Amino acid sequence: MLYKVIKKVDYKEFVSKLISDFEFIGPVKKDIATHDFVRINDFSKLDINYKRTTIAPAKKILFPSTEVLIQYEIGEDIKISSVYEAKEKILFGIDACDVNGLSFLDRFFSEDLIDEPYFSRRRKLTVIGIDRMPSKTNFSLSMGKEYAKDGFDLFLTDLKDRYFVRVGSEKGNGLLSKYAITSAAGDEDFKGYNKFMDTYRKSFKLKADVANLYDNFEQVYDDAQFWKKIAKDCYSCGSCCLVCPTCFCFNVKDDMELNLKKGNKIREWDSCMIPEYGLVAGSHNFRPTKENRLKQRYRCKIKTFADRFGSNSCVGCGRCIEACLAKINIAEDINSVKKEVSV
Amino acid sequence: MENNIYIPDLARITRIETVTPLEKIFDISFIEKEAQKKFNFMPGQFVELTVFGVGEAPFSITSNPNNKDKFQLCIRAVGSVSKATHVLKEGARVGIRGPFGKGTFPYKEAKGHNVLAIAGGLGLAPLMSFLTYVMDFRDQYKNLMIIYGAVNPTNILYKNEIAYWNSRDDVSVCVTVDNPDDKWTGEIGVCTKLIPRVDFKPDDTYTIVCGPPVMYKYVVVELEKKNFKEDKIFLSLERRMECGVGKCNHCHIGDKLACVDGPVFSLWDVRNLKEAI
Repeated sequence: MLYKVIKKVDYKEFVSKLISDFEFIGPVKKDIATHDFVRINDFSKLDINYKRTTIAPAKKILFPSTEVLIQYEIGEDIKISSVYEAKEKILFGIDACDVNGLSFLDRFFSEDLIDEPYFSRRRKLTVIGIDRMPSKTNFSLSMGKEYAKDGFDLFLTDLKDRYFVRVGSEKGNGLLSKYAITSAAGDEDFKGYNKFMDTYRKSFKLKADVANLYDNFEQVYDDAQFWKKIAKDCYSCGSCCLVCPTCFCFNVKDDMELNLKKGNKIREWDSCMIPEYGLVAGSHNFRPTKENRLKQRYRCKIKTFADRFGSNSCVGCGRCIEACLAKINIAEDINSVKKEVSV
Repeated sequence: MENNIYIPDLARITRIETVTPLEKIFDISFIEKEAQKKFNFMPGQFVELTVFGVGEAPFSITSNPNNKDKFQLCIRAVGSVSKATHVLKEGARVGIRGPFGKGTFPYKEAKGHNVLAIAGGLGLAPLMSFLTYVMDFRDQYKNLMIIYGAVNPTNILYKNEIAYWNSRDDVSVCVTVDNPDDKWTGEIGVCTKLIPRVDFKPDDTYTIVCGPPVMYKYVVVELEKKNFKEDKIFLSLERRMECGVGKCNHCHIGDKLACVDGPVFSLWDVRNLKEAI
């Protein structure tokens, strides 16, 4: 890793230049309570001091809620082709646990087979992360995802009069050389960085006890009473999946134009919490109840990828806790698993 | 061709056979010779079939893997895509992705052992790929027994093949129906009732099972009464596979995916995956 420092007075100019030269996406205040990652054309719109999480995770830039996978034309021959977006973009102001969310999707969509629609965008996305104090529902410290080791091109940490910059890629370094005035980070800067990180890690209020969760989860998995209690208020609305930075489930469907000559194969986000998710032709539903569905979602978030990737898919961003109408809290439920087993 | 895992290869339906009021068998060949040549599948694998303008759905391959110039699907008209296939005529063009699935029927491991095949309803179709393979190399397997349960005599699939098996003295076939008609002289009742009659040595027998979701629990109970071994019983599991390549996640069973890790799992795996059967 290369470490640099950029002064606050030079920061505004650096970012403004990026905004004018690239398609620049960053957090913008939408209303009193919410922020969202959207296209920015003016530095004054950028608001990196958002207190809660952004309403939609940054995954939507790489994995939009609806996208065309392939298009085809039916005539004498059937012509099938891919549709790829070709624009260089910058994603700015994403925090550490969200960078880890993106890294998870990077790995997921490249495991075994490369998902080209995703990677056609990913290759052209420059990620500039920024540290910020955890929001009330953020428990990424417990999930080991509060710090991003990689998955970014640049990562900034606010040291009051300057930003401490971790340079994660050649691309990131190129941007600094071209658009910013920087200096190499020295002992004082590292001291400041350590101080920030210590304060940051001490600021997490919500904790989830994940020690032994891997085994305890299996122990409670068949306990119908336990899951009835946990899922009691669930509306099966799927909000938790829509706001999750690592949920990747999708439906594939065909969509024909009215002339019946041209068609698209599209994918759209799906949610494992919705009753139709496990429904197959012939009306059999493999996950008929909300308890079935909630515990399978938890399995996917806090167990499955410990096996497959060596670390869980949940990054602890806390969006699902904010979004849930029934106030279902994954961090508290993780703690309940341990409590249930320990009783 | 571009490197997009969602692009199907174009194929043509070369023959359609209506086998029951509900099911049709489709012979399919790829339009490009190259695509046909690289399409090598194993018994138990499936394809994603696109009916252009309607959608894509997973279907088990039912033909003999040794047949290299075409493959077969047996499709019951129940969902939107499967109903659309029943409207297609011979010569129609479809899209094919696959073959998919690492979990296949144990056609290699079962060599030198007895084979017991248990099918319920449309579950016979996926087993046909395995069974026709076994018949090609019949001398490499010991005893072969096929138990097949259908709802009624008109719904019996693969009547010619069943007659052929019956004509051979190295295959024993038991067909049973739930609702017999006046002409029916065979067994009556669910296929699990026939399992107690199997007299194969448990250690020396590979069992493969395919049928509707409700069937597995009961079949497994009967097989265990006979001490059949968990790692020698194989079940083909159905789930909603939207993508076939492990990305859409609809077919998750516990920590695994039916499309990538299955669709055929050993009973040992099934027991350790939650809510598999």
